[in-house]
Amino acid sequence: MSDSRAARVREALITGARRYVGPRRPPVALAGAVLAAAGSFTPWATFFFGYPGKMTLAGFPGGARTYVLVLVAPALACLTRLPGRRSASIAGAAGALAVSAGNLIAIANRGGGLGAVAYGAWLATAGGLLLVAAAVSCPPDTAPELAERRRPAPVEQAAVAVSLALVLAFVWYGLGVDEPTRFASFVATVAFAAGAVAGLGVTGWLEALYQRHRTVTLVASALAAVAFPFTQDGTAQWIRVFTYIGILAAAAIGLNVVVGLAGLLDLGYIAFFGVGAYVAALVSGAGVTTSHIVLPFGVAMVLGACVAAVFGVVIGAPTLRLRGDYLAIVTLAFGEIFRIVVNNWNSVTRGPNGLSRIPHLALGSFDFGEPHRVLGVMLPHFSNYYFLGLVLLAWVILVFTRLNDSRIGRAWVAIREDETAAAAMGVNTVRLKLLAFAIGAFLAGLAGTVNAHFGTQVSPEQYTFLDSVTLLAAVVLGGMGTVPGALIGSTALILIPEKLRAFQDPRLLLFGLALVLMMRFRPEGLWPSSRMKAELHHDEEPAP
Amino acid sequence: MARLVQQLINGTVLGATIGLIALGYTMVYGIIQLINFAHGEIFMIGAFSGLYAYNHLIPEALRQNVAVTLPLVMLAAIVASTTVAVLAERLAYRPLRNAPRLAPLITAIGVSIALQEAIRLFYPGGKNRQSFPRIISGDTFQIGGVTIAWTSVFTVVTAVVLMLALEAFVNRTRLGKAMRATSQDPETARLMGIDTDKVIVVAFMLGGALAGVAGVIQGVRFTAIDFHIGFLAGIKAFTAAVLGGIGNIRGAVLGGFVIGIVEALATEYLPRGSDWKDVWAFVVLVVVLTFRPQGLLGEQVAVRS
Repeated sequence: MSDSRAARVREALITGARRYVGPRRPPVALAGAVLAAAGSFTPWATFFFGYPGKMTLAGFPGGARTYVLVLVAPALACLTRLPGRRSASIAGAAGALAVSAGNLIAIANRGGGLGAVAYGAWLATAGGLLLVAAAVSCPPDTAPELAERRRPAPVEQAAVAVSLALVLAFVWYGLGVDEPTRFASFVATVAFAAGAVAGLGVTGWLEALYQRHRTVTLVASALAAVAFPFTQDGTAQWIRVFTYIGILAAAAIGLNVVVGLAGLLDLGYIAFFGVGAYVAALVSGAGVTTSHIVLPFGVAMVLGACVAAVFGVVIGAPTLRLRGDYLAIVTLAFGEIFRIVVNNWNSVTRGPNGLSRIPHLALGSFDFGEPHRVLGVMLPHFSNYYFLGLVLLAWVILVFTRLNDSRIGRAWVAIREDETAAAAMGVNTVRLKLLAFAIGAFLAGLAGTVNAHFGTQVSPEQYTFLDSVTLLAAVVLGGMGTVPGALIGSTALILIPEKLRAFQDPRLLLFGLALVLMMRFRPEGLWPSSRMKAELHHDEEPAP
Repeated sequence: MARLVQQLINGTVLGATIGLIALGYTMVYGIIQLINFAHGEIFMIGAFSGLYAYNHLIPEALRQNVAVTLPLVMLAAIVASTTVAVLAERLAYRPLRNAPRLAPLITAIGVSIALQEAIRLFYPGGKNRQSFPRIISGDTFQIGGVTIAWTSVFTVVTAVVLMLALEAFVNRTRLGKAMRATSQDPETARLMGIDTDKVIVVAFMLGGALAGVAGVIQGVRFTAIDFHIGFLAGIKAFTAAVLGGIGNIRGAVLGGFVIGIVEALATEYLPRGSDWKDVWAFVVLVVVLTFRPQGLLGEQVAVRS
């Protein structure tokens, strides 16, 4: 009922904006831009660590004010004739408003009331409001045709390289932003700017380019990934974080086979990761352990993955004929059973204490526990695991894409779309679902074996329901059924909490809300597969 | 013998709470085929609201008076649980009514985490265990070597009475008839002039109210609550609902009793039983879904794709 009420209010607001702001759009937008720009050069806060003077551009809240300037540019798209100008300018203007108002609130909150807010913040917020009004008053968009146009191959390849370099630069810059409010502003700015760029059709164009120039894209991304540890001046912090991201992303892609391709919701997936980790730990010759078998890591990897796959089949075989949501709950139950068993089976898993002092890997004389000097750069020992993680990730991605493009992958999609129809077409649904389960479990087990050595200890509290949900959220957030989606999802879910130490406490709250909001407004994820997008928005008109 | 009877009684009491929560799962699933994963959290919120009412709304002079505290604490729990359940339906689930099946389930998980965290962060002292007042006398009485607490009697009586009331509501009233019709075929029900949105809200309200009552009972029986209690209780209750046959009101309560008794007996008779006590609900869930997914009493849901 009130959904339509909300829609009516929205309609009325848009009509109002068109009627009253529409004819005066250029002056309103310009005034907004001038106000926002003025705001970004004037003081925002009347306090700064007890310093009574008013701050300027370089002062508190530092970067946030330059971010407003960055967002004003796309907000002015409503003055141009570009296709997609309306969505682009709405994204830019909303971003400018969000960053200014958000910082205004943060300043008032920290400074003990609105008295702490200086006029600059008010100017920027007012400017943001005007920009939003102007953007909303824009006539509806025409679809951007950027994606269809072709340019000479070298130009396109250069565009691929430049865009990837830009992404890298943003990540690098973001890692250096330490102050939490500022980092939040940065993330918001990137998100809204990305929205604006997508509105103009640039993202679609780039996606097409990545498809056309796959080799260039792959080589450039691989180079960037390999180069990363060399840019860290020998400090381990971010290398460690990105190693973990890599391992988790590998597991997330494995989950993507199960959830994204075959459409089976698995809520206990972390158990397979845990099986792999425990198997690897048991045969690693760990310092604190219950077994005295020591196997080379290569064997341990295969063994861990295979044991996990066997578990996958054992769990899947009796349950896969269930309805989708029942299956989800059964997998959840299995995940919890795994955790409880590991917690209580003292003679093998040492219960809640777990197995620890797992030795670092050694390949011949190459010790993963030691820092190494490569090309004159000292790489901390985590970079060894970083590169191992990269190899793992690359292999998992290869497996995923080959599966996706194969007969098996198409059969999975058919099952996901309509199991009955797929069975009628001669797809052996039970066997294929079981295969998806086993492959997903295998990949998770593989990632688990690496994680056991990287983390040097395994214990039951690493494999809780919340960890399963985190992996699932990585897949859902990024976009079900795509590799970039799983990568973006795992990166965002680990990197953002890592940066926002101040938000460590409400991390899970935001996480829960994010799941709800994603499902509500963008169920296809940040990087949707085209198939999924079509499926989830079938009731909407295609863009005119 | 006395030991066995004692455990049967303990299990029945445990099962009564589970059954109360299971009623909410079974009604919501019966009508919109949604596993309302956040339902365990609704129960937890009921417990915390009851506690809040006791500590902050009831004058200290009246706290010893059961006739005042019990209804007020129950009322606070019911109001809070119902409100949260309806808000979740309204804001999170309803917009996804026609989305693919997995989307609402993921949303439900998100709601569940968010509610848990909201209590942990915003309830005063919510990060730690909170002691819950023993509103009803903690006294026990003996029958043939078996010890029974008055709280246990209260628990079982409340659960059975509420189940009967709910069944009467569903079978005898106009709104109950509308609920049954909607659960059989929402499209046709709408064509017959039933406001299905209202029916769904009512299902969430009733489920929320029962979970709120269960929350207070849990607090009274264990005299301590924390923000985690919803997860396990929710899983056990869902298991009970499936075990009894989802969509089936008597089945949900029966399932609750079975789970409770299995857990009590396993804890008592198996070696290191108490370490494994939470595993049985999961094992029962897996076994039931594998061998008899329609439950003991048969489900009353039309299977739709």
